[in-house]
Amino acid sequence: MSAISLKINGKDHGPIEVRDDLSMNDFLREVLGMTGTKFGCGAAQCLSCAVIVDDPDGTSATMPTCTAPAMNFDGKSIRTVEGHASNGQLTALQEAFIRHFAFQCGYCTAGFLNEAQVLLERLEHQPVAREALEQTILVALDGHLCRCTGYVRYHEAVRDVILAQPARYLL
Amino acid sequence: MRLSRRDFLRTGSVSGIALTLSKIGIPGAALAEQPSFFERETLNGAEVPVRGRVDGLAKVTGAKLYVSDFRAADMPGWPPQTSHALLVRATDASHVYDGLNLDALGANARPDVVVTAAELATSGVRVPHFYEGNLLCPVGTTPLYLGQPVALLLFETFDAYDRARTALRDHSPLRFGAETGPLPGANYATLRFTRVAGADGAPDVYSPLRDGWLNPPLEDSDGRPIWQPGPKTDEAYTRGAALGEDIRSALASPDAGLLVLDRNFETQSVDPMFLEPECGLAWYAPDKQALEIVLGVQSPYEAASAVAFMLGEAETAIRPARIDGRFAYIGGGFGGRDHTPFPLYVALAAVFFPGKPIRLAHDRFQQFQGGIKRHPFRIRSQIGIDKTSGRIAAFAGDHILDGGGLANYSASVAIVGATAAIGIYDIPKVDVTTVAEHSHGVTAGSMRGYGTLQTMTALETLIDEAAVELKIDPIELRRRNLLKTGGPSMTGNPWTVSVRTPEILDKLEAHPIWRKRSMHKATTVGTLVGTGTACCTKDYGTGADCSLGRVELAPDGSITIHTDSVEMGNGIGTAVARRIEAILGRAASAVAVARIDTYDELELSTTGDPYTITQDQQDAAAKNPRWVPEISTASTASIGAHVGTQASAQAARIIFRFGMWPAALALWGIAPADPRAFLFEQAFWQGEELILSGLPPLAQADVAAKAHEQEGVTGAIAHAFSRWAWAQAAFPIDDMQWTADIDALSIRRGSGSYKLLDRSFVFFPPTDYNRIGTSFTSSCGTVVRIEIDRASGALHIVEAYSVLECGEVLVTELVEGQAQGGFAMGVGYALLETLPRFEDGPGNGKWNLGDYIVARASDLPIHNLEIEVLPPVSPKEPPKGIAEVVMIPIVPALLNAIHDATGHRFRSLPVTPDMIKGVLT
Amino acid sequence: MKSDCKRLILAFLFSCAAIIAANLMAGKALAGSLRLTLAPAENFAGIANAKAHSLALFAEIGKVLTSPRCMNCHAANDRPRQGDSGRLHQPPVFRGPDGLGLPAMRCPICHLATNFDPARMPGNKPWLMAPSEMTWEGKTLSQICVQMRDPKLNGGKSLADLVHHIGDDELVGWGWNPGIGRTPAPGTQEQAKALVQTWVDTGAECP
Repeated sequence: MSAISLKINGKDHGPIEVRDDLSMNDFLREVLGMTGTKFGCGAAQCLSCAVIVDDPDGTSATMPTCTAPAMNFDGKSIRTVEGHASNGQLTALQEAFIRHFAFQCGYCTAGFLNEAQVLLERLEHQPVAREALEQTILVALDGHLCRCTGYVRYHEAVRDVILAQPARYLL
Repeated sequence: MRLSRRDFLRTGSVSGIALTLSKIGIPGAALAEQPSFFERETLNGAEVPVRGRVDGLAKVTGAKLYVSDFRAADMPGWPPQTSHALLVRATDASHVYDGLNLDALGANARPDVVVTAAELATSGVRVPHFYEGNLLCPVGTTPLYLGQPVALLLFETFDAYDRARTALRDHSPLRFGAETGPLPGANYATLRFTRVAGADGAPDVYSPLRDGWLNPPLEDSDGRPIWQPGPKTDEAYTRGAALGEDIRSALASPDAGLLVLDRNFETQSVDPMFLEPECGLAWYAPDKQALEIVLGVQSPYEAASAVAFMLGEAETAIRPARIDGRFAYIGGGFGGRDHTPFPLYVALAAVFFPGKPIRLAHDRFQQFQGGIKRHPFRIRSQIGIDKTSGRIAAFAGDHILDGGGLANYSASVAIVGATAAIGIYDIPKVDVTTVAEHSHGVTAGSMRGYGTLQTMTALETLIDEAAVELKIDPIELRRRNLLKTGGPSMTGNPWTVSVRTPEILDKLEAHPIWRKRSMHKATTVGTLVGTGTACCTKDYGTGADCSLGRVELAPDGSITIHTDSVEMGNGIGTAVARRIEAILGRAASAVAVARIDTYDELELSTTGDPYTITQDQQDAAAKNPRWVPEISTASTASIGAHVGTQASAQAARIIFRFGMWPAALALWGIAPADPRAFLFEQAFWQGEELILSGLPPLAQADVAAKAHEQEGVTGAIAHAFSRWAWAQAAFPIDDMQWTADIDALSIRRGSGSYKLLDRSFVFFPPTDYNRIGTSFTSSCGTVVRIEIDRASGALHIVEAYSVLECGEVLVTELVEGQAQGGFAMGVGYALLETLPRFEDGPGNGKWNLGDYIVARASDLPIHNLEIEVLPPVSPKEPPKGIAEVVMIPIVPALLNAIHDATGHRFRSLPVTPDMIKGVLT
Repeated sequence: MKSDCKRLILAFLFSCAAIIAANLMAGKALAGSLRLTLAPAENFAGIANAKAHSLALFAEIGKVLTSPRCMNCHAANDRPRQGDSGRLHQPPVFRGPDGLGLPAMRCPICHLATNFDPARMPGNKPWLMAPSEMTWEGKTLSQICVQMRDPKLNGGKSLADLVHHIGDDELVGWGWNPGIGRTPAPGTQEQAKALVQTWVDTGAECP
């Protein structure tokens, strides 16, 4: 057992005692009741459980929670699907996902949303050429499995958000 | 003959246990510190900020919605702590099970309760007929199949459960003894479908519809059916089978003018791989004798009924007097959550751990191990085609499908697969046999395509091969053989819906991918290029489909909808809301799906089995105005748009006609005798205003308020039933007889209570429609271009086009989304996904997504996939179901493209790069 | 009598190596559920012929090199493999310029400093692919050997570097402690180091 403290969607949690062998996914879902983060495979192969980890250096990355111990998140700051909208205001990505009918069952949506958000933030610092955009989105999202949609509308939604602000995301 | 999708007692109470007594959640009730289950599951389609899915907002914000999201603490009134159950399954089905050894579990990982076959044996628990077989494998017997449940371990705390599940995954607690080999089991179905058309348009000489489906009466010593008629076979079988044998003889020794191809094709076992593993939460409160159960299934009414049957004669301590079933949004279904045994184990966990809310949730290993699979088929096809005309003269098919350990839907899949064997074609002589076999593999059941994916893949690759042999363009060969509107299908009945295959073939032929196929082949350097096409059709509906709907209009114009259809991603909540928005003028502010408990006012009752009931029985039963052939059916078989929206839409029409329309007339000051009073069908909504030419637009809220003020109809609850045609009934409303495609109706006036109406006339579709194979069908064609790397055999899909038809399009994006998702699933089936059937397969508990490969975006032409939806034949054409057919032509089109690229015909699935490489070197 | 026995053992080991090579040619790492052992370097000391001695040592080292624990990261096409079956890594990840993955999926994001056995997740710090010069997938043991010992082919590594890599590298060391669900590399890292050192000392002969 060890006590962990972490920030989730800007809110401090802990210290909370966790078992060394408790996964972060179970910490979120069973301990905190935050079930927006899903469980799909338990093996980091579908990434429906991915959350955003914000590094103190200002960079962010998604990370599967099903294969990582909760302990590992002590002192970290993470974002989950529950934290994207603020004050009832959806992000551009959330709106685009809805407008494009990007998801169907929606069980993979949290993972796609987190991954696409990290991509947007990366492109702000490291923009890509327009010609490379589709491939950049493809590589960024390819770890995420979706069984319903054939992916088309997710990719179109993310592309739409980027093309709406080319100066922000593109070279 | 068609087997029932549910063949036990069905009434408002099953086995003496009252079902689902809970009422609609009361918003703002003082007791509720947190939203009730039903409040969470009822979504406001009007507050979605952009025009999207009704569940759009909930799904992008991570709202508690899916069955796997709920814990005891989320259920107001429940004890707050969640206990956890672990279902241990057999990893061996050829040795005697010797018992459970939990020594590997430390003291802090021990279950509090262990439920085994021994406990069940003395508990009075019954196995619902559909799931015939031991619920838990008894010690001293060989498990019936790989993955068969053996024990339920119940843990009070999550930590103990969590430790145990990890430990037991690494060290199986099951001990096995003597080798017995797999246990034999009877075939689940053996059937023969034979049709011989009359000459020159004369009535059929023989057809399944008129003469019946043939069941071979004899088996050989190995349990294989004997198809040949003989002295011991009865007259009915002999007559049909003799005609079938004639067809086969002619194909075996064809005359010179006939091209005969005789081919074998094999398909694999696959997993539906919906992303949310099966899961459930239940609490048995013995003091109240109430079992509350939260499930996520495609068949909620069946799940509740099955649980009630299971416990209906159990010993008092575990027999609930009441079961409250609550059904949540699910993370995908694809058929694999229709009639699964999983809910039974959720209920068992609860009743054997009284007082403790308990959760049973598969992880992915367990989902592979225990979840319903798609049937692998072995198919032999013989086709005879006139070399001059290109007309198909005869077809014979033989299907053997592996149903795995439990019967489940195997018989039904066999039938649907067999009756789809000639696809979109008109063939005068057809003889198809099918055998659904038992095996010790994981149980197979319903999955998108339902047998037709397998048989039409075999057919459409065969047609492609024939076209090459005959030197006829493959689209032209198809065109010459199309079944036309009104023509008899393989079972002898015509399709009763629009037949759009001629247009689909035209579209495929005109598409640049097809037109430029030779050019691409000639100009692409370095890789092999191939183009392939296929066109398929798939029935929608099961021949006994129900719809329940409850629609209410508030004085402020807001709309509430309840439907028994399940939201599994298909967008049923959105489709029903859009259909009703067109009728009642506003997006619904409360859409509740998967509700089976809010139609009590209809007082429905049923007897018999809708598939096997006789005409006399039906006629007698129909005299009871509460009787319907079936109360609620699964969300399956592509029925979302067609069936799932039906009852709600009909209820809404009644609210408009007898509530809003009279209110509008009053607001316009039009007298009842004014001719304009009858123009209700010409009025329409635009931007929440009711428009009738020549009159001032009326605000929807004003019309609603007036309807309430006038005590017009403001709420309606309806039931609809379809057996390849809607049941139709008339109801007395406002001194007139309202006739609609529903068979039960209750209405509310103003804010009053509901009044149940007796039908003054009812027509149920005749029972001999049960011998129809396919009547409602929709079609889809695909053309695809691929490139193959010579060195590695790697296949790249360059571009693809699918064209489909679905009658009225309720929501364009949902239809296109189905086609895009179906494309991906088709690619997975053709090229990626496979499961070994037995010991090395998923029943061993070791399968996950590292070994089972489903399509990722990088496997697909996501920016080069064109979907075209044909406009309806008329503005009044009803919606048709397409969620399955959109997957089917993808598979044969890819195989035909691979042949075009490599010159090789693969006749087993999936086709992997190694296999392709193997034929290139 | 004793040396005869040894010869017999050696013959057996060579045939093992041949089988392993055949597996490699098929592009697959050896799927092993058995925990294999390594013969200590001194077992080979009796081989009089220096070249034969060195070759025998390399054959023994080959059991380590061709373990899925090594092959999966020395994989071709910039894409690692995983599991004892050596299947392609799921989700699809790629080497990237630094061997640590592409920007969207970096190896250390999932592969933490230690194994997490409850999820059968392997971990070590660092966790990265072998450099592309050291791709072994699809090569015979003989080809691997030639590549390994030649600085022009192996990215500038000396033989001493090789001894250090196999003998002391922490990520290589993980191969002997791969967590539940994966077969460890044969023997121990110490034994492997001694074998490589002795192989180098005896002329680093390649088959």
